[in-house]
Amino acid sequence: MAKSDDGICILQGPLVFGNVVIGMCGIALTAECIFFVSDPHGLYPLLEATENDDIYAAAWIGIFVGFALFALSILGIVGVIKSNRTLLLVYIILMLITYAFEMASCITAATHRDFLTPNLFLKQMLERYQKSETVNNNDKWMTEGVTKTWNKLMLQNQCCGVHGPSDWQEYMSAFRMTHSDADFPWPHNCCVMDAQGSPVNLDGCKLGVPGYYNSNGCYDAISGPMNTHAWGVAWFGFAILCWTFCVLFGTMFYWSRIE
Amino acid sequence: MRWAGAPRGAWVTPPGGRALLPYVPRVPPAALPGKLTATTFALERPCCVFDRHANASDTIWLAVAFANASAAFRNPPSRADVPPYEQLPTAHSYMTLETAAATYACSASSPAVLRVGGDTVCGGQGGRDPCNGPLPSPGPYRVKFLVMGCHGPKAETRWSDPILLRRAGSPSTIDPAPVRHGSDVVVIASILASLGAVLAAAVLCAMGYGGCTGPRSGGCVSLPPSSIPATGSGRSTGMIALTSILSILFAVLLAGLVAMLFFSGA
Repeated sequence: MAKSDDGICILQGPLVFGNVVIGMCGIALTAECIFFVSDPHGLYPLLEATENDDIYAAAWIGIFVGFALFALSILGIVGVIKSNRTLLLVYIILMLITYAFEMASCITAATHRDFLTPNLFLKQMLERYQKSETVNNNDKWMTEGVTKTWNKLMLQNQCCGVHGPSDWQEYMSAFRMTHSDADFPWPHNCCVMDAQGSPVNLDGCKLGVPGYYNSNGCYDAISGPMNTHAWGVAWFGFAILCWTFCVLFGTMFYWSRIE
Repeated sequence: MRWAGAPRGAWVTPPGGRALLPYVPRVPPAALPGKLTATTFALERPCCVFDRHANASDTIWLAVAFANASAAFRNPPSRADVPPYEQLPTAHSYMTLETAAATYACSASSPAVLRVGGDTVCGGQGGRDPCNGPLPSPGPYRVKFLVMGCHGPKAETRWSDPILLRRAGSPSTIDPAPVRHGSDVVVIASILASLGAVLAAAVLCAMGYGGCTGPRSGGCVSLPPSSIPATGSGRSTGMIALTSILSILFAVLLAGLVAMLFFSGA
């Protein structure tokens, strides 16, 4: 009897340690997801207009899951140290629910990242950038978001279009409806700007003379932060879940053996 | 036949006194993304071509015609007969870019390309001023330079090769669907699904083992044996039922997630 007591009591140490790690990881997950939801790169309007902003939903779930993990880890530590069956049972059940939510968040972030292809942003840019006739309020809101975001992207990252300025020439666009091809082969934000915010050489920019226009595409500037966001949520959540699995397993074993 | 044996760069005088220069206008070979757009195109600036034929008072025009109408183009006898930009749809040709001959001189330093079609504010007023307006259709077009003096045309270059402008496609042809799901997604989803299933099974086992058979005597908190309370089987049965229901719900949630993943991935 005493031997099994000692045997099972040895499990207390690793379980407490496991719960401490879960608590810290929960805080880290909350902080990471708050960072992503705050959208430091200002790319959320692009996702909102694609009506496919599930990676943001995954980050929102991550915030609450992280906090729940922290709270539950405290409960788990208390339950293990006191060897209280009721507390541990509550802990196990609530942890399973949190586990399920975090699984949903991970899989959603990983899956929906794959939908963010260059063609998706290209089509959206051509159909929405500077669109003049909007159907309803929602359409107007999305169009303004896309236009502002692209203007900011092209100015800050010195880029043009998704693949390059030729995007504006290869396809018809809403922009082309209101801006003539002769004056605007591509938007003037694609030109190299001086300190006052006007093009250095507008004729050179219209012709595509190197040095007066931005020749690279903006896709890297879009996909870089979004990849970081999606993989940060997915892989960190996955790592937490693997660790939580071991701790939960140990806790269940401990629960089944104690008084 | 008379001109076939002429040395390169020499000019010959056809009947009528107009010189035919061997220069062929062309689109600049440099990789400029804006050299051909839907309504404009760029031409290499002819340098040192007209020096022997043009005085300082002459002007050099650019004649633009549809490729199938270039053979029918007749040089205007005077400046007043120059076909304006507005006549392009009917006459199938026009002349524009009237510049002084000194601009194309050898010593002039100016931009290396000319842009045809870049002026959007002129045209439509019916005036006789040359208008470098945007071209209305993709073409193809042919161009040539014409030196006009006080008494009429003095020299001309050859017609260029046909220049075809860009035609833009519709954005509805763009397919935004991803090619296939990355392998990362499959790895994450399968490992998580199996971990979740193992956990659900472990919960059921733990309930069955720890609940039904009753807790083992002894714990890790130091209490006198008499204070160990007797277990109530009713309480543990209720607990077992509750946890079984929750585990089943969890397993259903798990199955739903996996189904959503594969359904959306298909």
